[in-house]
Amino acid sequence: MAAFEPVLLRNRGVEQSTTLKVYESRGGYQGVRKALKQTPDEVVEEVKNANLRGRGGAGFPAGVKWSFLPKDRTRTLLCVNADESEPPTFCNRILMETDPHQLIEGTIIAGFATQSQTAYIYLRVEFHEQFHIVQKAVEEAYAAGYLGKKIFGSEYSLDIYVHRGAGAYVCGEETGLIESLEGKRGWPRIKPPFPAVEGLFGQPTVVNNVETLSCLPHILERGAEWFTSIGPDHSAGPKLFCVSGPVKNPGCYEGPMTISVRDLIERNDLGGGMRDGKKVKCVLPGGVSMGALSVDELDMKLDFADPRNYGLLGLGTAAAVVIDESVDMRMVLQNLARFYGTESCGQCTQCREGTSWMYKIATRIASGAGRISDLDLLLETARNMGMMPGYSICGLPDGATYPIETIIKKFRPELEASINAQAPGKAEALFTVLN
Amino acid sequence: MAKIIIDGQEVECRDNIPVLQAAVDAGWDVPHYCYHPGLSIAASCRLCLMEMKMPHPQTKEMGWAPKLMPSCQTPAREGMEVRFATEKVQQNQKNCMEFFLLNHPLDCPVCDQAGECHLQDYSYKFGDPESRMVDQKLKNPKKDIGPNTLLYSDRCVMCTRCVRFTDEVSGTHELGLVNRGSRLEIDVFPGLPLDNPMQGNVVDICPVGCLLDKDFLFQRRVWELSTASSICPGCATGCAIRVDHADDKVYRLKPRYNPGINDWWMCDEGRYGFKYIEDSKRVTSPIVRRGLDATSPEWADIPEIVQFRFEQHVRENGGEKLAAVLSPFMSCEEGWLLIEFMRETAPECTLVMGPVPMEGDDQSFPVGATGDKVKFTILNEKCPNRRGVEMLLEAAGGNQCSFDEFVEKAGGGSFTAAWIVGGYPKEWVSKELNKATGKIDLLVVQDLLQNSLMTSAAFVFPACSWAEREGSFVNAGGQIQPFDWATNPPEGGRRDGQYLYEIAGYAGLYNGERVRKLMAAKIPAFKEIHEPPVRPVHAH
Amino acid sequence: MSWITVNRNEPAIDPNAPPILSAALCEKIRSLFPRYDTKRAVLLPALHMVQDGLGHIPWQAMKEIADILEIHPSDVIDTISFYTHFWTHPKGMKVITACRSVSCETMGGVAVLLELKKQLGIGEHETTPDGRFSLVTEECLAGCDHAPCLLINEKLHRCVKVEDVGRILADDNNDRISQKRSDLFDAPAGDSKSKDVSGLESTSDVAEMKASE
Repeated sequence: MAAFEPVLLRNRGVEQSTTLKVYESRGGYQGVRKALKQTPDEVVEEVKNANLRGRGGAGFPAGVKWSFLPKDRTRTLLCVNADESEPPTFCNRILMETDPHQLIEGTIIAGFATQSQTAYIYLRVEFHEQFHIVQKAVEEAYAAGYLGKKIFGSEYSLDIYVHRGAGAYVCGEETGLIESLEGKRGWPRIKPPFPAVEGLFGQPTVVNNVETLSCLPHILERGAEWFTSIGPDHSAGPKLFCVSGPVKNPGCYEGPMTISVRDLIERNDLGGGMRDGKKVKCVLPGGVSMGALSVDELDMKLDFADPRNYGLLGLGTAAAVVIDESVDMRMVLQNLARFYGTESCGQCTQCREGTSWMYKIATRIASGAGRISDLDLLLETARNMGMMPGYSICGLPDGATYPIETIIKKFRPELEASINAQAPGKAEALFTVLN
Repeated sequence: MAKIIIDGQEVECRDNIPVLQAAVDAGWDVPHYCYHPGLSIAASCRLCLMEMKMPHPQTKEMGWAPKLMPSCQTPAREGMEVRFATEKVQQNQKNCMEFFLLNHPLDCPVCDQAGECHLQDYSYKFGDPESRMVDQKLKNPKKDIGPNTLLYSDRCVMCTRCVRFTDEVSGTHELGLVNRGSRLEIDVFPGLPLDNPMQGNVVDICPVGCLLDKDFLFQRRVWELSTASSICPGCATGCAIRVDHADDKVYRLKPRYNPGINDWWMCDEGRYGFKYIEDSKRVTSPIVRRGLDATSPEWADIPEIVQFRFEQHVRENGGEKLAAVLSPFMSCEEGWLLIEFMRETAPECTLVMGPVPMEGDDQSFPVGATGDKVKFTILNEKCPNRRGVEMLLEAAGGNQCSFDEFVEKAGGGSFTAAWIVGGYPKEWVSKELNKATGKIDLLVVQDLLQNSLMTSAAFVFPACSWAEREGSFVNAGGQIQPFDWATNPPEGGRRDGQYLYEIAGYAGLYNGERVRKLMAAKIPAFKEIHEPPVRPVHAH
Repeated sequence: MSWITVNRNEPAIDPNAPPILSAALCEKIRSLFPRYDTKRAVLLPALHMVQDGLGHIPWQAMKEIADILEIHPSDVIDTISFYTHFWTHPKGMKVITACRSVSCETMGGVAVLLELKKQLGIGEHETTPDGRFSLVTEECLAGCDHAPCLLINEKLHRCVKVEDVGRILADDNNDRISQKRSDLFDAPAGDSKSKDVSGLESTSDVAEMKASE
């Protein structure tokens, strides 16, 4: 395969890439100039033609999302979702720390296309350095007249504010993010009304992910046709892939959505193979919420379609974590159950009670007091709280159940062997209450 | 109106009301916690999920959607088809009940809510008898969150009804949530407790035993309580209430759904305002005086004695020397019977509207709301039936004067006989009134609590509290609202309606409805009474 | 009444106490109002400012923030308690946030956290007796390419090995970041090097601790 020419990461490694000067000298702020010469509808059309699917996890086409905005609206707000909290995802972090102006340019284009007056970049609080970088870039853009009134001599004006979150995974859900921006607890809202109709402060609102927006300058500059020429039809454009765990070169890579999980781990220009002769046991390929793959399933393509064939929820954030053979799957199970138990917002019954129950069971299993029946109980709890959409307001419990279910299904022999190898009677001794 | 199909049956309902409401109104017992018709939709308990027919995303063909939909959040639209009686829906209800009970302490034997608890009812009806959790339960603390309320957060199901109530109805915002996930709790800001005039409602809308009323705490098992439909006498709003009682003791008052008047709510002033029923100063038996002689005759003899004394007095002094002071605490029926008797005895007698207690200003809720936004009002007119008595007076015509004029005239000796009705839960006799009645030879005092008028009265009749009477009150909005008696009068007493009925010359048992019919024949306005719709038994 | 374990009628605030937020800080909070449609939307930024200035958000500050934003104090504690970043009690000058995401844990994060606890002599959500460090964990710091990682105040330490822990803790500059700070937000209260930037009169325990050093 010919070497992929980076698009989103083209400025990575360039000295002072976060500055306006360097970004412009490398061709930045051209897409937005082109966009502002068109009508907003033409920009929306272009993005629709590019079939740009949201990079935040759900893969909803961005242009279509914009077209849900009511035609007769007088005000629109744009939220940039930079609350990247899905373990083990860090592509937005890389984008913001290497190329904040690309994000700002994308935000202006999206703002223009949706005719937004204000954009809020909702940045997770743990991104401290990235916050300073983005904030500085915004200030720089204001100083250069690229933000504020009459951008690039057009009639379009946009204000961008950086808004810091405060540590809650669920604020990455678009309505949770909106609630959080309004100064409330980040409880996802019931839909309808959808944010496009009634979102932030009751106004029509669009929420887009950092990576999605970062694609926009390139689509506008090089055209929809160029964008769709990258990758398969249903998964157009360049995509960032993260790989972490015991691979030789953990990191964020860019490529078309034609690569497989095996490529991501083994190719020399990507993960570079396993470190210290370790062997892959399990991969969570799309952020933890999408589910797990066993070592036999590494040929799964990282695009928007293939993951469903492997019992996964979707592509997610295309961030793979590799788990090697030395790791006890009981510990992975506990880790994941804890993540959802801690991050459930507590609004819906199934998720609030289900995630914490799964954590209790998984902890017990990990501490050597599990029962074989606990695995079935976990599977059933997972089915009772997620799997089928509709049990809850947002998708968190669905995301909580896929990794639990896929790990138990795909690694059951190992889990059962661990449970059978426990000291006898330990499980019963821990049953402190009831029964 | 829209026609929707629930479980294959056609149901008619108002357009756009939640499907849950339509189903509950039509008799389905759809379990729900977070949904309350008086609050915004939270759709978070996920108990009311249903199956719904929707167009297929590709083929547009109508079919059952694979996804369950919250029926509380889905507005009813003409022709829509939903179902509850399916395995999928029931499985979800079962799952939910297991989840709700995971960390519940199962302390029903010491829980006030037991017997009217929707965790009990739904577990029994929709849940599984056994929990599969073997791990340690989470224990949330029990909190004293205000002067009248306790919050046992270990029993909470996180429906957030109470939080939405303080945000949307009382507008006082004291309650909030703290933490997240399974550690979520309802809480107040320390030192800013739940203390507003509407706070008692949070206990009513709590579907489980989490929010508890200190006043009722450990007083009585709820299945021992009987209930009577009543109207709150606390102010002119006329909230429909329920009087819960046992062994002739009132234990608590709860609001009844009464759209447009009090909706689902009542205020604390009314809620805790029944304590005077057990006041030690209650008058319990009639007293008849002749000179310095005081006797307490049989009730059966009283009508004749009264009629005789009044007729004699009119013969001797003339009818214009006669006056009756009616109280805004009387029911319309009682007032009408008294007027009948007085005007029968002396058509030229003077009728007087007794003092109307006013306190402070009206209080509207949510706090600070005006106009359409107002959801509840506590009126400053602290009596239930000023308008009712005024209607009677207007219909009666003839000689009338204001209470102040009466006091002045009585002081000047214009009246030699007077029937003064009190019934006020607070001390009401002024010095002037006391002095003025000194000039009245034949004084009847019909009152609840002992007062200074009684020492010089020829007749003292015990008035009953509203919980012991029946009749109707006319509220500030002009609605005539009937109420039932809950408890019996204290020993030796008798319902005001009964003795007035007999004094007015009727035989047999007093009955509010029968008297209302008699009244309606003369005052057509009383033909139309306002009775709140009965809420379906599964609604809460 | 022995079954009640928490009495919420007891005030957490002395009604006669002087304001804890300086006029300058209040002004700074108000200066963000034009950015949002509602005053309440300024709550998160305001909480960040207060925590950066005072080290944590005491009850008194919650009440004052509520007054500025015209909301009920219960709404403030509601929001604060939802997020993991805010402290309602004093924390150490430097907060160590260890990542326990699946990447970090499987790459040795468990051992690093244990070593941190051992060397600091504290558990999670605890502060060393000298007030220098608090230790917390976070579900994912989005630093998985450098797992295991940890944050010390704003500084991300990458690929931390058990044997690095001692050196990192001993380093005075372990919370220094290279980025120039924007003037909208102040340095965390623990960041001793940028004390001049904060410019706030703070009366918190953290500030007292700093003063007594």
